[in-house]
Amino acid sequence: MKRIQPRQNYLGATGWLWAGNYKIERYLYILHRITGLGILLFLLLHLIMTTVFRIQGQDVWEATMRILHNPWFKIGEYLVAVAFVYHGLNGLRLIIQELGFALGRPTPPIYPYRDSLRKKRPWTMLIIAIIVILALVFFYDFIVGGW
Amino acid sequence: MEKHETELITFKVQRYDPEKDNEPHFREFTVPSSRGMTVLDGLIYIKENLDGSLAFRTSCRMAICGSCGMLINNYPHLACHTQIEEFRSNTLTIKPLPNLPIIKDLVVDLIPFFDTHKAIKPYILRHDAEEMENPTTEFAQSPQALETLLQFTYCVKCGICISACPTSASDKLFVGPQALAQCYRYCADTRDEGEQERFPIVDTDHGVWHCHLAGACSEACPKGLDPALAIQLLKRRVVSRAIRLGRKQQPSSKVPPPTQTKPKVPFPEFTVKGAK
Amino acid sequence: MRNTYLWFVQLVTGVLIAVLLSIHMVLMHLDAILGFFGINVNDPTSWHSMIQRSNQAIWASLYIALLVVVLYHALNGLRNIILELTPSVRTERIVTWAIIVFGIIVFVWSSYVPIALLYA
Repeated sequence: MKRIQPRQNYLGATGWLWAGNYKIERYLYILHRITGLGILLFLLLHLIMTTVFRIQGQDVWEATMRILHNPWFKIGEYLVAVAFVYHGLNGLRLIIQELGFALGRPTPPIYPYRDSLRKKRPWTMLIIAIIVILALVFFYDFIVGGW
Repeated sequence: MEKHETELITFKVQRYDPEKDNEPHFREFTVPSSRGMTVLDGLIYIKENLDGSLAFRTSCRMAICGSCGMLINNYPHLACHTQIEEFRSNTLTIKPLPNLPIIKDLVVDLIPFFDTHKAIKPYILRHDAEEMENPTTEFAQSPQALETLLQFTYCVKCGICISACPTSASDKLFVGPQALAQCYRYCADTRDEGEQERFPIVDTDHGVWHCHLAGACSEACPKGLDPALAIQLLKRRVVSRAIRLGRKQQPSSKVPPPTQTKPKVPFPEFTVKGAK
Repeated sequence: MRNTYLWFVQLVTGVLIAVLLSIHMVLMHLDAILGFFGINVNDPTSWHSMIQRSNQAIWASLYIALLVVVLYHALNGLRNIILELTPSVRTERIVTWAIIVFGIIVFVWSSYVPIALLYA
């Protein structure tokens, strides 16, 4: 009887993006990736702007600045600012937790099981609260103030 | 549900017969279920009464062997450990565990999973090979030293953490949360001296550094093992060896074997009259 | 071992970016921030302010430092994401070299402007 090859069953990159019934840490992981890639794209555009348009002289620079003070670009700037705040604060949480520091000790599992990320969830929620507060402050600053 | 009331639940099971089908497809079965019935009971009912060709793994039916892992309503569970009533719905969608190759229906190929587990050398390694093969003494391990790794010894190798992990979904060479947690379990053991042998396997791009703390493995683990904690503690260990900071753990001391051969507890009296 | 060092530097650059980029953002929005308190300063993104900054070495060194840490952190992160999708070792090597070359090109291109203007 010929050997049957088992069928590959990887979720692929959809396994990154779609998180279903999992808890908040998986969504924070997804957002960390998305904000990281978004900031990278912004970085490349920003570097082009501050080098190519800068050395071409005052007129090109001031024309660019006038375009960028358009309210629609302000929204883009706001999104980049929020992405940076999220990526930075979540990154600080990841630095501490990925070095094994703020996760507590291994304990013998007694039902109902509470894993270490769930036990430290109040700290995670505190960091999310700080991110949300800063996002609202920036909203006031960038969008309401500059419109 | 009242105690003896039965409800008709629809099981949408993903079927795939490699000899007949090109692609997996769903088939629906109607199962009468009552309170206390697990998903495994439902699958056994289907196999006995409705379609005998349904393939799935089961052994202990009490969440200790780890055979019956499957995706129930898009979340990995052990089928014997999950009650139908828990979902509060009349339809259950049952699929095999993702990120592992499917052999037939709900049976997945666990050989790559076991091979990765073997690759991290899940046994006590000591420098003295002769002593490792033919030990002459016992090791003394304090309860505190045992506490640092006891939680990670309860692994039943069900494969649910591999299915939950987002990195395992795309990275075919990723070692996986189960192997990394077991690697930590052996490196943290005071009896073990084989840390440097295991690090070249986990301290790679496709080893511990592709874990980004999504935490899905710990959340889905049916035995409460917390592989995410083990992986982060392993990262701490790898970093502290690399930058040469941090305390080395105390190796366990050796205890000479007892010299007296008579047992200290006297042999109990026979309680049955007339027995010898 | 090499991956441990790469990842550890990713951590360190992450913390450095958190500091340097916050300074950069505050300085670029100094007119709005101080204007909130009633102190009026020139718009830091105007041509005049930029000419002033391009003659001072401290600004050039701040920009170059920020550029180095951001490029390392971003490109190492991108490399990790791409490496999760590539199955073979040969593809991994190609991707790593492509990212290193890209990083060097971007660094040379972007650091040329502050240094050239400093010595202009």
